[in-house]
Amino acid sequence: MADLLELEGLQRRFGDTVALDDLSFEVRAGQVVGFIGPNGAGKTTSMRAVLGLTDLQSGTVRWAGRTVDFESRRRFGYMPEERGLYPGMKVGEHLEYLAQLHGVSRGDAERRVEEWLERLQVADRRDDRVEALSHGNQQRVQLAAALVHGPELLMLDEPLAGLDPTGIDDIGAILVEQAREGRCVLFSSHQLDQVEDLCESVVIIDHGRLVAQGRVEDLATSGARRLVVRVEGDSRGEWAAALSGVRVSQVSGGEVRLVVDDGVDSDAVLDAARRAGRVSEFRFARRRMSEVFREALS
Amino acid sequence: MTSLALAALVVVVVAIRVLRRRSRSGRGSSSATPRRAAATHSSVTLVAAREIRERTKTRMFKLGTVVILVVVGAAIVVPTLNRHPSRPERVAVVGASLAGTSSALAIAGSSAGVAVVTRTVPSLGRAEALLRLGDVDVVDVDGREVLVAHASDASGTSSTARFVAAAAAELGVVRAMDVAGLSAAQVAILARSRPVTVTSLSGKSTPARSVDPEALIGDILIFTMLSQYNTWTLMGVMEEKSSRVIEVLLSALRPLQLLGGKVAGIAAVALAQATLVVAFALALSYGVGSSIVHGTSWLALLDTLMWLVVGYGFYSWVYAAAGSMAERQDQVQSLVLPLSLPMIFGYVTALVGASSGSVSWLLRLLAYLPPTAPFAMPVLVGMHAASGWAVAVSVLISLASTVVVARGAAGIYRRAILRTGRRVRWREVMTR
Repeated sequence: MADLLELEGLQRRFGDTVALDDLSFEVRAGQVVGFIGPNGAGKTTSMRAVLGLTDLQSGTVRWAGRTVDFESRRRFGYMPEERGLYPGMKVGEHLEYLAQLHGVSRGDAERRVEEWLERLQVADRRDDRVEALSHGNQQRVQLAAALVHGPELLMLDEPLAGLDPTGIDDIGAILVEQAREGRCVLFSSHQLDQVEDLCESVVIIDHGRLVAQGRVEDLATSGARRLVVRVEGDSRGEWAAALSGVRVSQVSGGEVRLVVDDGVDSDAVLDAARRAGRVSEFRFARRRMSEVFREALS
Repeated sequence: MTSLALAALVVVVVAIRVLRRRSRSGRGSSSATPRRAAATHSSVTLVAAREIRERTKTRMFKLGTVVILVVVGAAIVVPTLNRHPSRPERVAVVGASLAGTSSALAIAGSSAGVAVVTRTVPSLGRAEALLRLGDVDVVDVDGREVLVAHASDASGTSSTARFVAAAAAELGVVRAMDVAGLSAAQVAILARSRPVTVTSLSGKSTPARSVDPEALIGDILIFTMLSQYNTWTLMGVMEEKSSRVIEVLLSALRPLQLLGGKVAGIAAVALAQATLVVAFALALSYGVGSSIVHGTSWLALLDTLMWLVVGYGFYSWVYAAAGSMAERQDQVQSLVLPLSLPMIFGYVTALVGASSGSVSWLLRLLAYLPPTAPFAMPVLVGMHAASGWAVAVSVLISLASTVVVARGAAGIYRRAILRTGRRVRWREVMTR
């Protein structure tokens, strides 16, 4: 049975602000899991709670069936949202230091650092100070810091923020690879398209509470049907506004995306479109992650 | 030496005890297994090693060490530059020697700070010849006149000139006693005269004490180095918080392991630097023949090292706790001033006591208070106003206080280090 991260009934308040409100969810190893929610939803606080970086008023965090303690946390890898490295330290020395703090022997740490710097394409910056690196390269080094000790659980807070497309592809590929090797990968992001591309499952929270959780495939195919319709000469989709049980969710480049209630006949929608003009596209579509997110929050 | 070793040992034991206590009371942990204890010590060692490596390779550290060595070197060498080998003043006595002449010349020599050698010469001509040849420095002619070879020997600032002026005055007194018709016994009694005791209506006056220069230099060294290393500790903790590296570190370390490693690492650098300075001072003293290598000066140097360790042990925890409450330079400023006031007060009071030569009740009190003892007690020792047991009592009070302060600071650090955004207030972290 794969390892399991369990958060159960987490409560955390900061003064009058409720950061976590009886938050519970599970994350299974072997998957890349997207952790999403609006700003202030409690994503960072949840991650910090798992890592023991914030005290909980109540609740339990378990890993592989046991309450998480200091020793199990040393087998976790963490990439904080506000990147955390010593600016004046050399990249290679810094990563070796962090690996050794996690219990890796010196020789093994040197070998792992070489491997990860090579893999993340920053091997030539090994002897440079961290502060001398570009934002993107610092991000790569920060990811190496989370990976260098071979963690069982990876918690990454906005790992893709500020990266160029190449960087996103490189880091995304590594996250998927880590999951394939049996690790549990939980990462937060506001870039929902990337979450959809990378993740097999998502956890959505708002105001410190769980609002949705499941496999991306299941979430995308559940809920009301989506229809994508393109009517030549009608770029605003006004023909659909009068239809009962049909709501326009997005209009872009002449393509109208509709949310259709269960009782509505799709043929009736097609007829209405034909009356408006020549229909060049008419198809059913999956729920996008942005739609899943918005609908979960509403 | 024993006291120094004891102090260093106790500081290390205190740090380890605090770490172990925190480890046992850590969240979700039971009793400390040998493996866990080994991991704790390994982590602390790693943090300390990083501190040592990163601190000692900075240009500021290297430059600061050179500046300290130059200042200490100058303090040792400069006093020896004006020192000349003392040569006795050679006095030729011509004619009848009055009773008390020998005593008068001895008193004059003592007054001028020189030794005096006298010889009797049969004639004035022979005495003048010896004077011209430089075989004698001064000629006493019948107790009526003093001859010198050069005018500068009578009115200059040389030791001979000072002796000549004093000898002329003393011989004048002897001459007056002879004219007054005093017997040799009476003259001898007068020559042995001593000042009478002066008594004040307000009580017995305390004689001024001079302070050993080594103790004074040591006090300056302690203040300078404590200021430097306390600032390192504070800034180091603040930088870890502001750069957010603290979140990465605390996912692998307990707060106390990180704090203990930092304090121990900087302490090692401080002790190494101070030892280098002391070794340099001793070697240089041997080289130039300074008084530092004689008498009780060794003890003064060891006393300096001991109080540096004790003072750092006390203050490092306080500064680390303060550093955990700030994450910007401007926030640090408001924390540093109140923390440095006890140091400055103790240091200034000690220097005032040393310069005045009086051991006030305030200086004695400060010598037993942990925040000021590292500055006040070395000066008391340097003034020979504190016994060995007094030093031992003061050290024990400081060490006991360090245990209390370390535990309190560790709690503050743990509660404040992950609070970001604005400066954490004292009242927010003083209670659980």
